[in-house]
Amino acid sequence: MTMPYHKVNVLTGFKSAAEMKDPKALAKIIKRAERPLLVIGPRALNIKIGDKLFLEYLVEIAKAGNIPICATAHTKGKIEELGLVPDSTYDIMEILNHLKDPEWKGVKGEGNHDLVIFGGFRTDLGNQGLSTLKHFAPHLKTMTLCKFYYPHATFSLPNFRKDEEWKALLEGLIEELKAS
Amino acid sequence: MEGTRRLEEIKKIIRAEEDWEPVGPTPMPHVPDLRNWDRRLLKTYKPFYAPFCDLCCLCTYGKCDLTGTNRGACGIDIAGQQGRIVALACCIGMACHTGHAAHIIEYLIEKLGEDYPIDLGPGVNVECPHIRLVLGMKPRTLGDLKKAVEYAASELVHVLSSIHTGQEGDPVDYESKALHIGMLDHVGMEAADVAQIVGFKFPTSKADTPIVDLGWGAVDKEKPVILVVGHNPAASTEIIDYLREQGLEDKVEVCGICCTALETTRYSSKAKIVGPLSRQLFFIRTGIADVIVADEQCIRTDLTIEAEKVGSVVIASSDKACRGLEEVSDRPSDEIVKEMVEQRKHFLILDHRKAAEVAVKVALELSPRRKDRKTLMTKEQAQEAAKACKVCRNCEQACPNLLPLASAVQKAAQGDFEELKWCFERCIGCGKCEEACNHGVPFQKMFQSVASWETWKCRAGRGPIMDTEIRKVGAPIVLGTIPGVVAFVGCSNFPEEIEEIAEMAEEFAKRKYIVVLSGCSAMVAGMKKDKDGLTIYEKYPPDFDAGGVVNVGSCVANSHITGAAIKIANIFANLPLRANYEVIADYVLNRVGAVGVAWGAMSQKAASIATGCNRLGIPVVLGPHSSKYRRQYLSRKEEDDWTVMDGRTQQLVNTQEPTPEHLCIVVESKERAMVTIAKLCMRKNDTPQGRQIKLTHYIDLHKKLIGGLPPDLHHFIRTERDIPMFFKREVMEFLKEKGWEKKPVLSLPTLIGTYKSKAKIEDVVGGAKK
Repeated sequence: MTMPYHKVNVLTGFKSAAEMKDPKALAKIIKRAERPLLVIGPRALNIKIGDKLFLEYLVEIAKAGNIPICATAHTKGKIEELGLVPDSTYDIMEILNHLKDPEWKGVKGEGNHDLVIFGGFRTDLGNQGLSTLKHFAPHLKTMTLCKFYYPHATFSLPNFRKDEEWKALLEGLIEELKAS
Repeated sequence: MEGTRRLEEIKKIIRAEEDWEPVGPTPMPHVPDLRNWDRRLLKTYKPFYAPFCDLCCLCTYGKCDLTGTNRGACGIDIAGQQGRIVALACCIGMACHTGHAAHIIEYLIEKLGEDYPIDLGPGVNVECPHIRLVLGMKPRTLGDLKKAVEYAASELVHVLSSIHTGQEGDPVDYESKALHIGMLDHVGMEAADVAQIVGFKFPTSKADTPIVDLGWGAVDKEKPVILVVGHNPAASTEIIDYLREQGLEDKVEVCGICCTALETTRYSSKAKIVGPLSRQLFFIRTGIADVIVADEQCIRTDLTIEAEKVGSVVIASSDKACRGLEEVSDRPSDEIVKEMVEQRKHFLILDHRKAAEVAVKVALELSPRRKDRKTLMTKEQAQEAAKACKVCRNCEQACPNLLPLASAVQKAAQGDFEELKWCFERCIGCGKCEEACNHGVPFQKMFQSVASWETWKCRAGRGPIMDTEIRKVGAPIVLGTIPGVVAFVGCSNFPEEIEEIAEMAEEFAKRKYIVVLSGCSAMVAGMKKDKDGLTIYEKYPPDFDAGGVVNVGSCVANSHITGAAIKIANIFANLPLRANYEVIADYVLNRVGAVGVAWGAMSQKAASIATGCNRLGIPVVLGPHSSKYRRQYLSRKEEDDWTVMDGRTQQLVNTQEPTPEHLCIVVESKERAMVTIAKLCMRKNDTPQGRQIKLTHYIDLHKKLIGGLPPDLHHFIRTERDIPMFFKREVMEFLKEKGWEKKPVLSLPTLIGTYKSKAKIEDVVGGAKK
């Protein structure tokens, strides 16, 4: 079992995320989803990967995969600056509360999402939110695109020691999504 | 089900024959008495769980994996287990405050007698709103406060027993028990603080309490220094008394960390507040304190180990935190002093008078011998120490606040201290970084080189809000023209820089909300100066009025914040308090725009305080660390049923209006917190004028901090008269887009009558003419 980077997130159970390092595999999961959703948190506004914000990568992923966005915290303005209008602006706990309900209509009113992708949250808060979905939302799968391993997700990136590796994965994912 | 015998017993305890108000339906309630109220609340605000642990390891059947649909060997599921742990946390928190109350009342009864009267001065006639409301008793003496505490303690036994294996299993029933304990926590806190106010003659019936010095830089390390840590002022007030008697008050520094600091400055304005809990380890490591007197709650359990590192000595003064020390309460003071000074021994002294004498004498003798231990690490030394770092990043992985410590230390090694300073401003003071470091990087000492050593200011805690103030602001709060009461409370487990509390508090004070503070949050609100060098306490009036900034005091003074909401129902709206919990909580939920903000909540006490607010109908906004409490109370505004009773027509009305939207919610950023606070101040009872004002702030904050109009704005506009003039055109266009339709406006919204209860709709109508 992979250890999460931050010790506060050490798993105390048995069901943990599959570690994903291959952008092709990640793209395949996203493409296979009927109604994916990308939930963006405020750390994406500050984390830089090389000379770009993490948020820029997330917006590119949303564009490339045609994935609707939920902008949490105060991320909406910057996402709009990057040329995307978020499909919803619930805060993190509110969107999680909706996602728990299999009958929810989703951010587009087309039904609840079957794959929820997260990026840009504090790892402790993010892992807590993923715990909610792991336990109470068996109808959906979760994926994280942050630099660290999230044990409560269904699919998580590994702990990247170097930003270059993370960057390569995100760029690879964008390419794969564009290619479809 | 109440037996006749118990009812007779209750009548005797609360002196039911006294006719100050008729005895309401729930005197000294057990859990089932208010269970239906809880279930009604939780029908709208459903428990939302984020398990912190997938397992249960409470009994020898386990460990049991409760993931998903799994059940433990006893049959419990993951939701039930979360409710169970939340109830347990609340029990622990409530036990701390109630234990504090029991101790301080016993101590004061010993000194002053059981019949010592409760007199909070001419401004406070409703002396104990919680005790009046929950027990149905109007306490007159310290002995009466003891009865309130005994009742709370007996309820605690029942709830704690429900956590045993094979007892309660339903999550909502566990929540009901947690809510019960939360309610009683406010009874315990009130008993503690009222006893302290009358027993120690803390300020009361006045708003402009002294402005006191704040900050580790405020402590004169050239003098002998006594540091008090914890929450219970029994020992610290004795220290002040002893210094006064000996004419030493100006010769010895008394400073404090956490709530004991706030309590001590209520007793002596010469005492200094070092800072919040998050600065405990930092300050102890400076070696400035010669003697550390610990009482109870939130004290580092490795205090003696840390003290030894800098040659300080510790006196433990509470039976709740004996710390393995030899008890010497019955030994002669001079003998104890000698051993502490010459052998640097630590002792447990439960006689507070003796502890005070020993602390002063040891500080006087030890201080000249410890001058060299008070030297702070310089930047040059920090740069040298930083070179030990091998960038393994164990410190970063261990940091619960996720700080980039290794990177900061690397930069410090090259003479760049900016990032280390940035980390210090966000450090929660746990010391896990040093524990994880294999190369001996002294993070906490290195922080000495980047910490600000300037002096800030804090207003000494003032205790209860005065009845006269309630009379003045009751109408504007209930009608909505004062947009809300925002209470910043709780610990210092802040997600970002410590200044965020001051920034948020000032934003709402500027907007003419009433800002109230307590505990560590009250201290850190003073730790930011404007360009003129003024803190929030020097810039804003100390009144419980629009634009006022009020420090009520320590943790136990939180009861005065909720007490103010109760008093609004009683003093302004003429609703009887006596054993009338549901009617008052319903009034607060539907009419009093108050919101609690526990941005750095850490402890079980904070969990319990917040849960008590929730049962009383006060929503609470929590910082991101609080997701680890495992539970929130959330609604879903689009999907949920917002039907209430119209008290005037006694008809059910679907208001379609989610106010307040949540009862307990975690948010991630300061920006989102401020928008959420403004939103949660809205109430169904708001007049169109009041709603306009509240919406003005909601829209304005949303535009500034998030961008654009709030996407849920249409839910909060009942008629066009609610629309703020300044944003009218823009909002009208938005409403058209959303297909908005008018909603009913009620002047007497209530949940009473919508569920089975002993409270009657007439009880709401009768008292709520205003």
